[in-house]
Amino acid sequence: MAAYSVPATGDPGLQPERTALAWSRTALALAVNALLSMRAGFVTGQPVLVAVGALLFAASGAAVAIGTVRRRQLVGNRLVITPPRGALVGVAAATMLAAIGGIASIFAEGAA
Amino acid sequence: MRDPKWRDEGEEPDYRFTLANERTFLAWIRTALALLAGGVLLHQFATELDPRLVVTLLSTGLGVVAAVLSVVSYTRWRANEIAIRNGRPLPFSWVLPALAAVCLMTSAVLVVLLLVA
Repeated sequence: MAAYSVPATGDPGLQPERTALAWSRTALALAVNALLSMRAGFVTGQPVLVAVGALLFAASGAAVAIGTVRRRQLVGNRLVITPPRGALVGVAAATMLAAIGGIASIFAEGAA
Repeated sequence: MRDPKWRDEGEEPDYRFTLANERTFLAWIRTALALLAGGVLLHQFATELDPRLVVTLLSTGLGVVAAVLSVVSYTRWRANEIAIRNGRPLPFSWVLPALAAVCLMTSAVLVVLLLVA
């Protein structure tokens, strides 16, 4: 099935722009958690947490890339409405990984 | 990755509504990431706060809530998308009151800890 696209109507609510911006903000939030995970990993000497941090940085980079794709899809005369494939599942999975890493960092510090 | 089956249900929605649904998903994800960052920061930097067990429980709780929210944000986006496509009312969800309750409890426990300290 092709992605659903519509002609741009000059939406005064600027919804396409807000959607593209929301992706960039999400990428920033992921980067903050990547930094926290890496810091926890270095402080407690847990290579697993450093690896989780590196993975989260990669996920943040992916979210920046999706944000760029989304911005391109949502400007111009035709708007591509369907979000990129797997993007939503991917960002939810990255958040889950961040949560597991965060919980692990609490117990790693407790054990050290 | 193939398109999920529900994408063939109903009609393609008004683009403003489906974009708003995408933003709502991202807002929930950011909420989860913010709660998680709060939990990890609390545990890493509030080292003076006693009893330590309560701080650990609070941080772990925030992490667990973040994990649950990451799943809920996707299932809610999907349920909303299906409802919009079929012209049905949006499904009610307990996430909002539950999240408000979590925030209230967390602040209450933190205020007590800070006052006792």
